[in-house]
Amino acid sequence: MGKHSKLLSIWEHYLTKEIGIEFKACLYFFCILFFYSVYRVIGGSLEANIIHMAEMICLTYIMGYVQVYLLSNFDEGEQLKGKNFFYTILCSVIYTGISYICKWFDRNLWVYIGFALYIVVVYICAFLVYKYKRRLDEKHLNADLKAFQERRKQNE
Amino acid sequence: MKYTIRQITEGEDEMILQYREMTPEIEHILKLLNKTQTKLTGWVGKNLTVLELNRILYIESVDGKTFAYTKEEVFRLDYLLSSLEQILSGINFFRCSKSMIVNIDKVESLKSLPSNRIDATMCNGEHIIISRTYASAFRKRLKGGVYLG
Repeated sequence: MGKHSKLLSIWEHYLTKEIGIEFKACLYFFCILFFYSVYRVIGGSLEANIIHMAEMICLTYIMGYVQVYLLSNFDEGEQLKGKNFFYTILCSVIYTGISYICKWFDRNLWVYIGFALYIVVVYICAFLVYKYKRRLDEKHLNADLKAFQERRKQNE
Repeated sequence: MKYTIRQITEGEDEMILQYREMTPEIEHILKLLNKTQTKLTGWVGKNLTVLELNRILYIESVDGKTFAYTKEEVFRLDYLLSSLEQILSGINFFRCSKSMIVNIDKVESLKSLPSNRIDATMCNGEHIIISRTYASAFRKRLKGGVYLG
């Protein structure tokens, strides 16, 4: 492998990770914002604090890096058993802890408990979505494989 | 490119292709040769044996040595993996990782793995992982796109 293609490969590898982190940051930001909005509406307010929103996006972005670089590339899309289940709980605790420090839910303990459970559910949903996506992909892959082998047989 | 054609009266027919760099012209010639090539030679112990390409499940490079695996036997090949990739890419073989070339015809089923990797189950039940780097080219190949390695 030449120096240029090696550099290109490192760049592509970095870019793939970065895109993954940003995609997850957007996904979790949207989910947290939804919970936050519901909380605000139930509390009788139709306004969202822009500082809270900035904190949310920063937190979700940082958590993406934490998952990749500190939690041995923890990907909720892979599986949620064993070590990954522990990381799911850990990440939910971190999200809840930061939300408590930043006073997103006015230090209302029950809301924080609900928020922690909500984050766990979000992780489980992400896992199920990725699992279903892989199953569909598998179906297409095997159909393409059979078609390839059929074409080969016909050409022989 | 200069070429010499010489008729011989003794010995085996042989074609030697010398090149400094892989150019589209050389690639084209290799592809033409590939269409007719159906055999490789490989070592089983101390015996040099002719190996039909359609018997090979996959070819692997281990510690700088190249091995071809069939259902029953393992052959040591006197080829570099990169050369084999050039020779075989025009037919049903595919470079699936840094150290492996797989025979697509011998793949029983495919499983999509996280991080865009693919698990190929071979007809003998062995599992081969198509790495992320090669997975998109593999998908393209299955769909009928051209992949020159």
